Amino acid sequence: MPEKRDIEINSRADTIGLMDLDVRPYPVTPPPSYEEVKSTYERRKALEFCDWAEDNLRFEKRYEKDETLTGLTVLDIGLWRLGHKFCASLFGEAGAEVVSIEPPAGDPLRKLTPFGREEYFLQNKESGEKCGMEFVNETVNTYCVTLDVETAEGREIYKKMAANVDVLIDGMPPGYMDDLGIGYRQLKELNPRMVYVWMGMMGQWGPWKDKQSKFGQWMMEPFASAANSWIHNTGLAQDLLPRGKGGDPTRPAIWLADYVAGAQGFLNALAALYWRDEQGGTGQMIEVSGAEALLDILDFDITWYGFNSSIKSRTGGWDACLNQYAWNPCKDGYMMIGGQTDKLWYNIGFCLERDDPQFGRLIHEDPLLKEMAARNALHALIKTYTLTARWLRDTNRVEAETKLLEYQVAAGPVLYIDEVCEFPHFKYRPWVYVHETDYGPLLIASSPASYQLRAPFRCKWMGRDIGYDNYEIYLRWTGMTQSAVTAMKQKGVI
Amino acid sequence: MCDIIWCKKEVNGKPCDTINYLDPYYFWNWEGTINCAECGTVYYIHMIQGFMYRGPEERDGEKPDTSPIYADKPYDGYSSYRPGVNGRTRPFQCTPRKELLGVADMVKFSIRGRPVRGWRPQPPSAGLAGSHGFKWDIAKLSPEVWEEYQKKLAAGEVKDW
Amino acid sequence: MAQDPRVTRMEELPGPKSKGEMEEFKMPYEEYCKKLFDIGKEHTKPRPLKGIRWLSCTMYIFTPHAVANLAELGAEVIKLEIPRMGEPMRHTSPFNEVYLYPFSDMRPTTGTGLGYTNANPNKYFITIDYHIPEMREVFYSLVKKSDGMTELYRPGTLDKWKMSYRYLSEINPRFIYVWGGGFGYGPKIFGGSYDILGQAHAGLASITGMHEFMGGHCSKCTNWVIDWQSGNLISCAIMAAIHHRRKTGLGTMIEFSQVQVPTRMLGHTTTMYGKFGIVRQRWGNWDTQLAVHGIILCGKSDFPDAENPQDKYDARYVMVSAFQDRDFKELCDITGLKELYEKYKAHKDRVEGEAQVEIYGALERWAADKSRSEVAKFLTDAGLLAEPVRNDREVYESPHYRERGTVRWMEDPLFGDVLVHGGYSTGLMEKTPRRINWHWRPLGADNKKIYRDLLGFPLSKIEEWYKKAYI
Repeated sequence: MPEKRDIEINSRADTIGLMDLDVRPYPVTPPPSYEEVKSTYERRKALEFCDWAEDNLRFEKRYEKDETLTGLTVLDIGLWRLGHKFCASLFGEAGAEVVSIEPPAGDPLRKLTPFGREEYFLQNKESGEKCGMEFVNETVNTYCVTLDVETAEGREIYKKMAANVDVLIDGMPPGYMDDLGIGYRQLKELNPRMVYVWMGMMGQWGPWKDKQSKFGQWMMEPFASAANSWIHNTGLAQDLLPRGKGGDPTRPAIWLADYVAGAQGFLNALAALYWRDEQGGTGQMIEVSGAEALLDILDFDITWYGFNSSIKSRTGGWDACLNQYAWNPCKDGYMMIGGQTDKLWYNIGFCLERDDPQFGRLIHEDPLLKEMAARNALHALIKTYTLTARWLRDTNRVEAETKLLEYQVAAGPVLYIDEVCEFPHFKYRPWVYVHETDYGPLLIASSPASYQLRAPFRCKWMGRDIGYDNYEIYLRWTGMTQSAVTAMKQKGVI
Repeated sequence: MCDIIWCKKEVNGKPCDTINYLDPYYFWNWEGTINCAECGTVYYIHMIQGFMYRGPEERDGEKPDTSPIYADKPYDGYSSYRPGVNGRTRPFQCTPRKELLGVADMVKFSIRGRPVRGWRPQPPSAGLAGSHGFKWDIAKLSPEVWEEYQKKLAAGEVKDW
Repeated sequence: MAQDPRVTRMEELPGPKSKGEMEEFKMPYEEYCKKLFDIGKEHTKPRPLKGIRWLSCTMYIFTPHAVANLAELGAEVIKLEIPRMGEPMRHTSPFNEVYLYPFSDMRPTTGTGLGYTNANPNKYFITIDYHIPEMREVFYSLVKKSDGMTELYRPGTLDKWKMSYRYLSEINPRFIYVWGGGFGYGPKIFGGSYDILGQAHAGLASITGMHEFMGGHCSKCTNWVIDWQSGNLISCAIMAAIHHRRKTGLGTMIEFSQVQVPTRMLGHTTTMYGKFGIVRQRWGNWDTQLAVHGIILCGKSDFPDAENPQDKYDARYVMVSAFQDRDFKELCDITGLKELYEKYKAHKDRVEGEAQVEIYGALERWAADKSRSEVAKFLTDAGLLAEPVRNDREVYESPHYRERGTVRWMEDPLFGDVLVHGGYSTGLMEKTPRRINWHWRPLGADNKKIYRDLLGFPLSKIEEWYKKAYI
């Protein structure tokens, strides 16, 4: 038992440190043991294969394995957004040497913190420098240097760096680097083998290209998701909740377009490198916009409009294409249930019928609901989910999940982050774990590509002080000596 | 009771036996009056976290605050009232088109007037083991649609966008 | 030969080397980009993944999309489906209304639903029943000729049939094997998974939607975001593995679970919980780290007389962004909310919860007698950032997406006139662009092409298999 302490709380600031990982270690309850999991493997008679998978794919073995992209150099310049950062982090996780350039004052993203609360800044244990959590989380395995490319000296240094990289990620506004004489068309002369990836919200060109306000404020997410109907499609219908009180189009809580564009930037760049190296190609320019990366994954929506002028409407926790496939409110939150094919759909019904015989009477016997496709009509959704929610009303999430899993139905509760972190499967893999960073131990999400036989992705470090790697990188990449870097620092160039 | 109202009101000597569905998001926390889609009987209900805390109680002569969004009659072969039947069910405005069909839409031409294979049945056209080539021989397979297309072309109804 | 110092040689000067290049340098940047990508000429340029062949033993959206990315980048992809039935996504269509025919000649009244869109372009479609030992041998011969495969069956299923990595790597050591599913090894290994389960289970749902005090519930991203984005991330892992194989000559196995993908994209959420014990909540259409940076409801629709309800009732939302001090001051000045600027001069003050409630409330009252486009125009005319929240029709009609080739009509070889919105601009590539050849093909449409033309089986054999429903 930890010792008792007397605490006086007068403001929110006094609560800081009361919940840190040394006070309340993670996880609160231990993860399931192998022995417990083994019985699951055995029940399906898959023990041998599952053991093979554990032996060969386990997260814990990631560091002892090879990295895929060693030897590749990546330069990343950009501010504010997460797209170029996520892309650079993917390169970093895959083993490339990635250098991120910030202006001497640092990326403003470092200053962002939930609700502006400075007490939620992370503090570097060694230097004492503070940084926002979002920046730290999305800066994985990248070297941080500072450079003012608006100065002539800065541009010269930048050119030297760009001359030898394999990939350059440009997260600046359209034409900004070009105006400075260090954009793609100038750099490709110096380095024709370079893959140049521009990344933004809407694009570098075209009528809706990325804009800035007259004071120079950038466009950021969710502008991209607003421009491609993603937001229009998300949220609850005004027929179910009043408009202005929940029945409105809704943005995703995260800067979604940035993450999707970041992944596509990485993917396209690797394809371009493959063409360059395997098929005797050259470097090239790639342009990824968040709006279009999201349009690519906008299901079938625009195709649908071209078919019969349908404009997709929002359907809240339901789905227009699948029944059942929704979450609805339950006794202690929201419960997701999914099963579309006849087998699974009736399995849901059989499960619910145990507690509510009327469910079977009203649902299974209705001729309208007997055909899989016909169940997707709007009125069929309303009927099915009304009766499902009647069962959920009496059931909490754990009970519902337990009962439905017995019928082999995909079912899962809507979990809040504390519940996510304590979910047994998440702890076992682990998908959330404590990583020792310069900011002390932090609870972070693992990379989904970490579970591989030969060369898994991995996080080694995250976050960095502003310009932490200046001396090392400028020496190795440009030959600048310590005194040269210091001189540039004093001039405000670095 | 719960979040359906199974109306048992006697109408013309027979029970109404209509099920009015109270959809989960709208009614999760709700108090007011609602009509039966079939016989119009008005019920008062008070729902808290999906529970029928009070009701349904008949309220003769009152104007309902709202209507169910869907209702059906299991004893009448599940005949139903879909959303937006005037005076019976609540409209559902948040839909992709003014009228939803709920069944496959038979479409022969895209919105710019060119043929698209969105109707059934299609004449058999596969080769060995279900194989297809890379051409839709519309003039041969569906001459009537091809002809209609020619007329559309002549009438200038085929656009680029 | 010694050079005459009086002669200027263009190639030795810095900068452009030819007249063409000179012009290129003089071009305005936008025009230059446009010329670079040369929209509409995609098929005249090389395919970056030429020579890669991938097997797609996939269903739904997540794993098919992981392979569709490769197909758009020019790999040759063969999709294997269950004979007669096809995969479930072929039977998925919004509100049961939209299908393309034929599905197969055997089922003339069935179509393939639009749910199949975008996850399956450019693939070749064959059918195969793995339960038949004879067909597994056929499968092996495909494996020998391929670079890798993506599958989604419950863990252990393909192992039982000797089709898992540990068997296939013996036939083809360069084989890259990807399993994509919900959970992977661990206590929930056999749990089924969907996009929506990922959204629900991994924390994304808990923070998306209107806050309780706004009257809201958790909302799903109606588009299957976790399926799609997990697919993207698998493609990333595959490309990395292909690069690794160039170095080592060895294939690999990748186990990829979609349920963890949302957690990776939650930014600071997990860290904030671990360090401060704070459980992030929904914050509706506003931003937890920036203000003003959110969507407001305007009083009037842009299209009150439109027939389509989405135009008629919902063209009322504007994304407004003025989080930097000067932008916020201007916003307050022009909307008559000067006192708000005085009150919340510092960003850290106006991004606080109560301040946001007050500011957005005031903005919505200001917009109560205006339409969406009036608000957007008023703010952009003042030099601020504001854009309408657009719907599908507006995306279709957008000059931007047309000019960039993002949204375009395609004459599909079998289905006719189809509108396409994926693939091409998912990253414009100057020299090796992505492309779409066809939307999808009927079930088993390439049986002859693959079984005979690629593998060399006699036609009589293929017919026999087909009759027995082996394929």
